[in-house]
Amino acid sequence: MTSHFLILAIFALLVSTAFALLMRQDPKEQLRFGVLAFVCFLGSAFLIGWLMYPFPS
Amino acid sequence: MRVKEETQDRPATAGIPVAVSAWLVPGLGHLMLGRTRRALTFFIVVTGMFAFGLYLRGRIFQLNTAEPLTFLAGLAERGVGLPFFAAKLLGMGLGEVTAMTYEYGYTFCIVAGLLNMLIMLDAYDIAVGRKS
Repeated sequence: MTSHFLILAIFALLVSTAFALLMRQDPKEQLRFGVLAFVCFLGSAFLIGWLMYPFPS
Repeated sequence: MRVKEETQDRPATAGIPVAVSAWLVPGLGHLMLGRTRRALTFFIVVTGMFAFGLYLRGRIFQLNTAEPLTFLAGLAERGVGLPFFAAKLLGMGLGEVTAMTYEYGYTFCIVAGLLNMLIMLDAYDIAVGRKS
């Protein structure tokens, strides 16, 4: 597997699921929290990637 | 105040068998407490994450006290419980430093262990009545 994004998405999915179950009791709230955490993971990765874009590799 | 009263109902030692089980097999602590759905999800998440880390050529770290960061990484990985020791016995997790996914791999393994430690504490809190 060589896709950085796919690895990031799998990591975000697994960690978001665990935290949603640990931090919320109601299934609806768990789903909301899990989706929000997952989106924040991906969003922050895109944001950091975008901020780092001007720097040479 | 309510939390304190509930804690007094059950002694702190009541949660130890649950916590130990939760560490050994991810999700077993919640299964013992009757939380089947959570138990199954925790098992899939933790063991899946650890297995995926090994698939990505991640490394199982030794508890080397001369290297503090390596020691902490090794300690975190041991949080996975029996899957960790099974992988070690099978000779997995040697780590392929030249692999592109090497860093991702050991990160998955470390985070799987840390997540299981949180899950273990959650099971303990439920067992002693601190959490519903």
